[in-house]
Amino acid sequence: MALPLSHNFRNVTVRWRATLATVLGIAMVVAVFVLVQALAVGLEKSASNTGDPRNIMIVRKGSTAESSSQVSLQQFQTLHYWSQIARDKKGNPIVSADLVTLISQPRIDGKGEANVSVRGLTPMGRFLRPQVTLVAGRWFTPGKREVVVSSRMAKRFAHFKIGDRFKTAGNWMTVVGEFAGQNSAFDSEVWMDADESRALFDRESYSSVLVRAASPQAAQEIISRLDSDKRLPLRGDSEVEYYSKQTATAMPIRILGNFLATAMSIGAIFAAMNTMYASVGSRTREIGTLRVLGFRRRTILLSFIIEGALLAAIGGVLGCLLALPLHGYSTGTMSFNTFSETVFQFRITPWLATKGIIFAVVVGVVGSLLPAIRASRLPVIAALKSV
Amino acid sequence: MTISAFILKNALRNKRRALLSVSSVAASLFLLVTLQVALRELTQPPESSGAELRVAVRNKISLTNPLPARQRGVIERIPGVAGVTPFTWFGGKYKNEGGMTFAQFAIDPKALGTVFNDAKMDAAGYIAFNQQKDSCVIGKITAEKYGLKPGDRFSLESTVYPGSLTFRVAGIYSGTPDDRNMLFRQDYLDDSIGMPGYVGMWWLKVKSAAGMPRVIAAVNKAFENTSAEVRAESERAFQLGFISMLGNIKALVASLSTVVVFTLVLVSASTMSMAIRERFRELAILKALGFRRRELFAFILAESFGLAVAGAVIGIGAAYCLYTFGDISKMTHGIFVTFEVTPRIIGFSAMVAALLGIVSAIAPSLSVARMSVVNGLKTLD
Repeated sequence: MALPLSHNFRNVTVRWRATLATVLGIAMVVAVFVLVQALAVGLEKSASNTGDPRNIMIVRKGSTAESSSQVSLQQFQTLHYWSQIARDKKGNPIVSADLVTLISQPRIDGKGEANVSVRGLTPMGRFLRPQVTLVAGRWFTPGKREVVVSSRMAKRFAHFKIGDRFKTAGNWMTVVGEFAGQNSAFDSEVWMDADESRALFDRESYSSVLVRAASPQAAQEIISRLDSDKRLPLRGDSEVEYYSKQTATAMPIRILGNFLATAMSIGAIFAAMNTMYASVGSRTREIGTLRVLGFRRRTILLSFIIEGALLAAIGGVLGCLLALPLHGYSTGTMSFNTFSETVFQFRITPWLATKGIIFAVVVGVVGSLLPAIRASRLPVIAALKSV
Repeated sequence: MTISAFILKNALRNKRRALLSVSSVAASLFLLVTLQVALRELTQPPESSGAELRVAVRNKISLTNPLPARQRGVIERIPGVAGVTPFTWFGGKYKNEGGMTFAQFAIDPKALGTVFNDAKMDAAGYIAFNQQKDSCVIGKITAEKYGLKPGDRFSLESTVYPGSLTFRVAGIYSGTPDDRNMLFRQDYLDDSIGMPGYVGMWWLKVKSAAGMPRVIAAVNKAFENTSAEVRAESERAFQLGFISMLGNIKALVASLSTVVVFTLVLVSASTMSMAIRERFRELAILKALGFRRRELFAFILAESFGLAVAGAVIGIGAAYCLYTFGDISKMTHGIFVTFEVTPRIIGFSAMVAALLGIVSAIAPSLSVARMSVVNGLKTLD
């Protein structure tokens, strides 16, 4: 026998105020759940869109971040002329040695300071990272104490507008341009000339070396040659792989998200139960009638659970819609991996939205289970007699 | 029947609903307390004893830039300074664990009794730490986690320096707000894989709290326009600087709290109006008997207020018990350490509950006030 669902639907509209409140309550729970998880996903993926499959990133063995890695000038010279490295039209090897340092800079809102990654790199380094494009101003001129900042960082720090000057390591630096990094890890950086930054920060060695391999096979050869050469305490990784391993741990955020979702959903389940009990209570007579008409207990049970699940699903969709405007919203925090400010975006993936809706349906089913059982167990005669 | 008995009977007439309403308020208030405690811990780290006499000195460029070891002599000569120690981040990984699970710093062994005198340890530990170059001291939490005892040896692979170092446990300390760090000797680091001539940062102990500003200013001035300019600040300012690096976390938790409160109001208000609507007939009878709107409002308010307060007592009480008597450090894998539920947080949460009780009573009271006795009597629900 078909489910008496049309009866459920008509009833929902009768107690619309309580139903609406329940649906909105569930929507809020789902919105919070989706947003916090979207934050975690964004943070974990903040470095994932970085890297060119042809590039090999070389850092010191055992280092976990570029800023704590050292590649000496001598090591760089050794690497420089390896035959596996691609060459440009003029016959120069496509290699760049970078220096990554962290500088403390005041935030734009005046609330304290944060560490900013400054990457010193060569013209070849820019050529190796084509996803980074200049969006305003011009590139830095080596030796003139000039830097170019990512547009995202320019929005977060006090002295990062074009024309601004800031002091670090006893020198005044001028911002001459803004770049965009297409959601890569470079969006959290400030760029300047490599050798100038070595002089400025008084460093003898570089942090990392990026090379373009001549072929996929040559890439493998570079990696294994570095691994087996005991004189070079260095490690090579495909650039794409290196950055995908650089996922900032979003564990604390995930724990927070799960905790919030659990505690809020418990509250929401109680509220949903309340609404459903009231709804069953006011429909006692009708349920009796349905039973007399021949609908079975389990049919009635199922119809109430479906009612609860559907209402919750509506709440879930609404919650996702509430969260959606924040998709792509850029924010920042300190990554414990790089120990510097990392900008990232809320990312509401389709899978995350689905999880949110599933979560809502579970809340709906759990919340309507007991009231539905009560509805299905109402004695027919008593139900018909009730006013 | 007295009026209060009447209100109580009404509130508990539908026991299941009363229970569900109270539980939903309790769950929300539990959450509200938790969020506020988390926010407080994130933005106001626990203060260790002796903090008012300690000064942190880091490279002005940023914390990650090293400082030359020769600065020590200059700092020691500044009047008012009672003790100085280097403090160098080692970033070691324990055995095969993926990441770092506790922090390690290289210090001057004498500093344990002077600069960091809040860390308490037995006398044998001090002696061993001062005598053996490869020795280290470990916080109680970390020692318990890995089952380390004095005399044990273990090695750590550094993520900052090339290679790994083997350490001998000299003693286990406790008494700091977060007994997790490992401290070892700067000279051991310098002689092995370290960068001799450089340290991570300096920690100072000053003789009197009154002398703090003068010492801080003197340290900053001493290295002005040198190749390694420094930023000296009080321990508190240093901690807050660390927190400011976390960025938008504060705004995030604050906005989450707002959403929780809003959801709370929404759900409870709806439950309350449900309870009242069910009773329209009775309220109409009361009206017919001559009770005034004001009195009906008082009935509804008392009931809604009572439910909210009951929920608050359970929710805030549960949070208080859990965070005061439970081991929060274990529960959160060391992200939070003290998680103190302060009277201020309890007060704020109780106020939210009280407001909730009042706000929830408004909508049903308005509809009761508006209804005519005849219509009320006709209600079937």
